[in-house]
Amino acid sequence: MSSPEQAAPASSPGEPEALASLRGDFLSALGWMGLGIAILIGSVTMDRLESQDINPYTIPGLLPGLLGIAMTILGALLGLRSWRPHLLAAGNRAPVDRAELKRLLLVLGLCLAFGVGLVGHGLPFWLAAAIFVTVAILALQYQQRKSAGESLNLRRLVTTAAIGLGAGAVITLVFQEIFLVRLP
Amino acid sequence: MLSGLSELGQAYLSILNVYSLAYGLGGALLGIIVGCLPGLSATLCIALLTTLTIKMAPNDAILILICSYVGTLYGGSRTAILLNIPGTAANAASCADGHALALRGEAGRAIGIATSGAFSGTLFGVLCLAAFTPLLAEVSLSFGAYEFFWLALLGVAMSGSIVGNDPLKGWLMGTLGLFVAQIGQEGLYAHDRFTFGWSQLSGGISLIPALVGAFGFAEVLTTLADPVERQMVEMRDSVLPRFREVAQYWRTVLRSGVIGVLTGLMPGVGEDAGAWMSYAAAKAVSKERDQFGKGSIDGLMAAETGDMSSIPGHIIPALALGIPGSAPSAVLMAAMIIHGIQPGPMLMIEHPQFIYDVVAMTSLATVSILVFGLFLIKPLLLVLRIKRTVLMPIIFLLCTVGAFASASRLFDIYCMLAIGIGAFFLRRRGYQMAPFVLGLVLGGLLDKSLRRGLVLSDGSLKPFFTRPISIGFATVTILILLLYIPAFKSLVTAVTGAVSKQVRRLTSRHA
Repeated sequence: MSSPEQAAPASSPGEPEALASLRGDFLSALGWMGLGIAILIGSVTMDRLESQDINPYTIPGLLPGLLGIAMTILGALLGLRSWRPHLLAAGNRAPVDRAELKRLLLVLGLCLAFGVGLVGHGLPFWLAAAIFVTVAILALQYQQRKSAGESLNLRRLVTTAAIGLGAGAVITLVFQEIFLVRLP
Repeated sequence: MLSGLSELGQAYLSILNVYSLAYGLGGALLGIIVGCLPGLSATLCIALLTTLTIKMAPNDAILILICSYVGTLYGGSRTAILLNIPGTAANAASCADGHALALRGEAGRAIGIATSGAFSGTLFGVLCLAAFTPLLAEVSLSFGAYEFFWLALLGVAMSGSIVGNDPLKGWLMGTLGLFVAQIGQEGLYAHDRFTFGWSQLSGGISLIPALVGAFGFAEVLTTLADPVERQMVEMRDSVLPRFREVAQYWRTVLRSGVIGVLTGLMPGVGEDAGAWMSYAAAKAVSKERDQFGKGSIDGLMAAETGDMSSIPGHIIPALALGIPGSAPSAVLMAAMIIHGIQPGPMLMIEHPQFIYDVVAMTSLATVSILVFGLFLIKPLLLVLRIKRTVLMPIIFLLCTVGAFASASRLFDIYCMLAIGIGAFFLRRRGYQMAPFVLGLVLGGLLDKSLRRGLVLSDGSLKPFFTRPISIGFATVTILILLLYIPAFKSLVTAVTGAVSKQVRRLTSRHA
């Protein structure tokens, strides 16, 4: 088990990464405290079912309220541990890796488009899966192709579409037909 | 005693048929493939297979899940040795020595040692599972609401403080998990909590979609956000298991087996703790300690034996107490509940044969990894050559199916997506998912035990601190929390140091 000194990164003017990490911890501590207080308020204002004449020690908001208090205290400890003077100054922000952010947004966009948009809205699962896998592979490999100076040719497109169709068909067959599991 | 042996014999006989052997070997093979793929965990593998096997007979389904559990942890050592990336968190301790051996051109030897260590470790764990689960189940019959309240809290506190390197963040995740478990209709009066009038939330956040999000979707995001493909070390020598080395390092195997099972018994600690503690213990007493981290066979054997023996160790409290020892055993427990088997103190009364069935299933899993370790290592490594831009979209498809299949609700897919995105960002800030999972699993038990206990004691907190077993659990839980305070920790270190010095002085005088 690590002690607070071990867990909290040291901060000195020459350690911008440590300060950025502490800044992140401090901001997340505010988030935890906010959530803890919200849970506590939700628990205190929750119906105590007095009309049903229940035992007062069994009110539904009892444990959530205690958890709200615990979360607020733990969040406050995290905030205290990470607090340093001038921590919130703009210079202490973690540098953003634009290429990584772009990739992340692309993956998130693809997954959300499939999970929220394509699935469960009338399209057969195998087809939705085939479209998703094909588009995802092509989009994710675009950057690699670009840096290698390769262009998208028909052969690569057909191979990717075959992988997509194969994945959709195999998953549908195994889950729905062999193991009788309902698919979205 | 004799009736136990007869039930154990029946359990072994019941799996000696073509179907059970095929299910067991198939589950282990799938597990090894998933374990070989860096980032995909045993938790995700069991969660996805739970949905796949939902329509199967309970024993067949649990057999597949147990074999895949053992297989995943075994398969994870391949990537640790060949790529220097642990296939699962539990294989991290194998990276240093396993990869160093591979770089010296002894990758096959390293895999052979891992196979023999894994086989011996799981076998030792199975013996403990058979011996101690019925005993613990008998003891747990005397547990009441007060004991279960502390046990649930102890699980979350211990998981938070041991998993990862920041107890505060671990406890925050545990508290979050406990809170998420409170969402939906509560158990006593069916009153909706934190549903904001949304009927979909009344059923609560289901465990399987939450786990698939936290361990599957979050991993897809993590892997695809980092474009670096690792280079694999070529394997030229034989991968046959080295049982001569097991005999040579029998002390390491036995010590690591005991440590693995003991860490497995601790609620919420995880398999990686078994591996790291065994590795540290081996390093402390080994004659070749200067070789640790540079290709030590002793170190690799200790890590693999420790993590594999902790699997049966984790199953013991999950079966006997209903308190899972790790995230994968939490999913295994959820799968048992889905199939109508409620783990916990009543298991020995309602399904007495089931404990012995699990022992037989784990034995089959042990044999399966040996079979695949002997015959299928090289073909299985082909899976490591699949590009992650091809593999990860397919894994995401499986995550979507896995989230949906248990209750056929689109809402579960949305939960999986939301939890996965949350887990991705939290993991980047150093928050671990295991305490969250433990909280999610134990939240219901904690709520029920607290309120039942208060009703029984008419609002008094006294029985929570005065019943003999309660006071033991309460002391350990409070100690775990207090150890975070530096002043208290130094006091404990000083006291234990002084006591051990006295004991050493006394023993040396006697000698």
